[in-house]
Amino acid sequence: MFIHRLLIPALFTAASPAAALQRSNDHGSAVIIMGQEPATPIPTLLNGSANIAVSDLLFLRLARPGVGLSTTDERAFEPQLAQSWSRRDSLTIVFELDARARWHDGVAVTAKDVVFSFARMRDSTVDAQRALLLRHLASVVAEGDRRVVMRFRRAYPEQFYDASYHVQLLPAHLVDSLPPGPRFTSSEFVKRPVGNGPYRWTRRDPGRQLELAADPGYFLGAPKLDRLVFLTVRDPEAQINLLLDGTADILEAVPPVSGPVRLAANPAVKLLNIPSLSVLYLLFNQRAPGDRTRAHPILGDVEVRRAISLALDRLNLARSTYGRFALPADAPAAQAHWTRGIVPRGTAYNPPAARALLASRGWVDRNGDGVLEKDGVPLTLRLSIPATSATRAIMAPQVQEQLRRIGVRVEIDRLDFPVFIERRTKGEFDLDLSAANMDPSPSGIVQSWSCAGRGGSNVGWYCDPGLDSLLDRAIYTTGSGGRTWQAAYARLQGDVPAVFLASPAWSVAVHSRFRNVSIRPESPYGDLWRWSVDPGRRISRDGTGAPSR
Amino acid sequence: MIGSLGGLLRRAWTHPSGRWGALALVVLALVAVAAPPLLPDPAEMPDAVLGATPPSLAHPLGTDQLNRDMLARVVVGGRISLSVAVLAVLVSLTLGAAVGLVAGYAGGWVDAILMRGVDAALAIPRLFVLLLLLVVWEHIPLGALILVIGTTGWFATSRLVRGEVLRLRHEPFVTASEALGATGWRTIARHLLPNAAGPLLVAATLGVGDVILLEAGLSFLGLGVQPPTPSWGGMVLEARPLIVTAPWTAIFPGAAIVLTVLSVNLLGDALQAALDPRGA
Amino acid sequence: MIRWLVRRTLQAAATFAIALLLLFVLMRLAPGDPLSRLVGDRDVSAAEIEQLRRRFGVDQPLLIQLQAFLAGAARGDLGVSIEHFPDRVTTLLASRLPATLLLGGVVLLLNFTVGIWLGVRQAVRRGSRFDRWTGRLALAAYAMPGFWLGLVLVAFLSLRWRLLPAAQMTDPLLPAGADGLTRALDILRHLALPALTLSLTSIALTMRHQRAAMLSVFRLDFVTAARARGLSEKRVRWGHAWRNTLVPMLTLLGLWLPVLVSGSVFVESVFNWPGLGSLAAQAIAARDYPVLLGTATLVSGAVVFAGLAADLGYALADPRVRPS
Repeated sequence: MFIHRLLIPALFTAASPAAALQRSNDHGSAVIIMGQEPATPIPTLLNGSANIAVSDLLFLRLARPGVGLSTTDERAFEPQLAQSWSRRDSLTIVFELDARARWHDGVAVTAKDVVFSFARMRDSTVDAQRALLLRHLASVVAEGDRRVVMRFRRAYPEQFYDASYHVQLLPAHLVDSLPPGPRFTSSEFVKRPVGNGPYRWTRRDPGRQLELAADPGYFLGAPKLDRLVFLTVRDPEAQINLLLDGTADILEAVPPVSGPVRLAANPAVKLLNIPSLSVLYLLFNQRAPGDRTRAHPILGDVEVRRAISLALDRLNLARSTYGRFALPADAPAAQAHWTRGIVPRGTAYNPPAARALLASRGWVDRNGDGVLEKDGVPLTLRLSIPATSATRAIMAPQVQEQLRRIGVRVEIDRLDFPVFIERRTKGEFDLDLSAANMDPSPSGIVQSWSCAGRGGSNVGWYCDPGLDSLLDRAIYTTGSGGRTWQAAYARLQGDVPAVFLASPAWSVAVHSRFRNVSIRPESPYGDLWRWSVDPGRRISRDGTGAPSR
Repeated sequence: MIGSLGGLLRRAWTHPSGRWGALALVVLALVAVAAPPLLPDPAEMPDAVLGATPPSLAHPLGTDQLNRDMLARVVVGGRISLSVAVLAVLVSLTLGAAVGLVAGYAGGWVDAILMRGVDAALAIPRLFVLLLLLVVWEHIPLGALILVIGTTGWFATSRLVRGEVLRLRHEPFVTASEALGATGWRTIARHLLPNAAGPLLVAATLGVGDVILLEAGLSFLGLGVQPPTPSWGGMVLEARPLIVTAPWTAIFPGAAIVLTVLSVNLLGDALQAALDPRGA
Repeated sequence: MIRWLVRRTLQAAATFAIALLLLFVLMRLAPGDPLSRLVGDRDVSAAEIEQLRRRFGVDQPLLIQLQAFLAGAARGDLGVSIEHFPDRVTTLLASRLPATLLLGGVVLLLNFTVGIWLGVRQAVRRGSRFDRWTGRLALAAYAMPGFWLGLVLVAFLSLRWRLLPAAQMTDPLLPAGADGLTRALDILRHLALPALTLSLTSIALTMRHQRAAMLSVFRLDFVTAARARGLSEKRVRWGHAWRNTLVPMLTLLGLWLPVLVSGSVFVESVFNWPGLGSLAAQAIAARDYPVLLGTATLVSGAVVFAGLAADLGYALADPRVRPS
């Protein structure tokens, strides 16, 4: 065991005490910082990006998109639980499951699990969003233990993507006795999930950390990182501090401008730029806060919304938040989406036009207090932001100031993340600085911007049937893709349901001792099981990590 | 009363620390009142892309992460902090004196109830009382904030005043004038102020320091003074991500707090010493 | 003596009860719907709302509501947290209490050793440059907001010079089999900065109290007598004079608790120290009213108790104070 030589100096060195364990040379462990707690990384309970990210290590899909995220080419997908696939016709796909795939309790993954999982997740009372995404799937049938046949109602380019990407499998033998609802959420399965991915659940310290251990029998190859610890640290400052003092190895959301400067102080930390799938926008609530039956008294008027978008200097907002080379986004198309290049230009910065527009709608400052009124109601809007977001902390005061100049008073609510999400979901906000992590396919846009998305991700309650039919055409007709997408985006811009601000590149900080590092835009930790540690650069915690259970 | 206060101030002036404290406060107050028109608008973000820049000729205290002039923000923030503190202390003084007077004069069960209440109120730390109120009152207007802070700080003052009133009650000249038919009430009030003025002034001065720290703390937690109005605590909150890359954004507002509170406390100390030389 | 003790304890209980009453009034005073404050923004079933209505009786006469609230507090039931639903507030408080006690204990220790020593030295060298300048420095430290000092210390000692950890209480990757000594050292390293911050900003209180107490004792006859007897200055100082300041210093303990608790809200949140202070700070951001109310209740109780203990200690130590 470890021997202490002197107590006092031990108090002041930054290195943690080491425990000596013999392990093969390129193995190690990783400490990953999460801004939110991944309390339930379990399919059907995946609320929040933290849960989604961790679930990729525990629960696999049938297949996943290859590098480049081409969601319309079947051959570009990588096998996960499905070893191979073929087509019987334009509406039917057949998956052959990998015989080596096993749940962490040893039971084999079978077609029954696939049928069960799809049935669970297409239940709109359980997961409305996924039900919406899978609306064209007619049936999922098992043929024997290893074969699954999926039938669709229509043929369209992203059929295979829908068949393979949206559902992560749940073990039928453990979950089918637990109906969705409180019995499931309070079950032993949720407290100690059993998955089929490269990592298995070790333990969770609520509010603080989550530990996963490598599954040496993982059928696609034993992971070299034996132990993963996910630390929940909400404060962006504390996150960087933990990276700088060596306690943590990976941080996914590095604050764009100040982060790289600060991290330069620790040369062992590398910054990776990943094309991101996120889009930042200022969302307008179209319905009255707290009462969705009425239209929003101020923002229900499209000209008011347009005026606000004219008053925002989007170029400067993007640059001041994300750096000199950032460009504003004009539509919900992220950097990594193929449609990014065809988005029509958005509104230009024009505050006098904004003022004139508001005046034409009856908003005038009668009492000289700098805030416009109409019928005695002042133009005051509440902007909700999560307290721990560094980017929103920079953007929100600028939005407030730019809108103040045209007579709109904005009050900023800094809320804890769960409260922020609750208020958003309930529609209790006027303005909201949303950062949407979009799906790999631009068709995910239906979740937030179609009529059917209301009650799910479409918290602004925006609904335009004309846009819905354009999106339908763009997604489901082969060949007319580009121009229809363009028309759809143009229509969305005309309705101004939000002011699109930026689609930032994503900075991920990774300790330089890791080898074979790859981070995917749609699944940051999906490839962690392939990483290893440079044998010459192992640190004390790489030597630890015997699975404790 | 003015005479005794004047004497007190003169004696305080002889203490070197008291002198420095008083001088610093006068300078701070002057700057807070007179400087803002001479400085750039604290809400101006000339070029937010530049972010925080270190102190320079154009910006003597540098700029914050939205490229707003720090000097202007610190000065305007000072204006806000000082006015909130002074006004809140005035509220506390008034309330405390009123309650103390009533309790001391009325005596009996009125006194007992009031003082038991004061004891209980003193058991709840002031910060928590304010937290419980401000957490639900999002976007509290500045005037209401001052009232709320003032209403939570009068307890110790009431004790002080009550003590004075009790002492005076048994003074011969009070009992004498009561015997003559004049209500003791007025006599006490007339004699109370000169006697209590000294300790009250000390309590008020130290109270200002407490309120400045309290308000800074509330702003740091996101309650209290709301952006875009600058406040020292709020500035430290915004500067937190930049503490290593742009330390001036956090150091200057904090230093302003330290300077102001220190001056106030030094002055208060000197006044206290002038009141009671034995403890010096 | 026993009678006095009983009376004093009843007094303390009454004070606590009135404090609870004040907290109840506060809860009803604040704008907004009181029920929403207890429920927050989470989805509640109609049955749950009914239950809360009955318990806090928001549509019942105020007196009944007060009764329910007080009864709950007496039972130790402070409600359910909104953010950490369905954890009970008392469970959360209990889980965070040890960390705060540890931090508070260390700060108390630091304050009462260094602070006392400095205060005595100041009194002995009254009027000297040491006396004046230590006093001013302590006052300057007292004027520093805890959150600011904490941030500055982290920036330099943790981040620039990598001497001490920047946050939390333990190293998350401490091997599961680490022995007690390793764990203790790890906690001590994490404790250093928060304890330093809290101590620096409150040491002025201890120093001044001690100084004033020593000065008043010095004036007493028995000190002159001891000196006249030829005892060494050191013995006079520590053996006789200081001993007599112990009793007045007890009152400091009562004063000190609210200062410590308020300061810890800021310091614990800056350092992410998992105690009651950071619980309160998180409850603010999460608009978790029941947790805030519960923390305020607990702290008020502690202050009342500390006052009672100080009085008792005072009475035990100084027979002159004891009532006949």
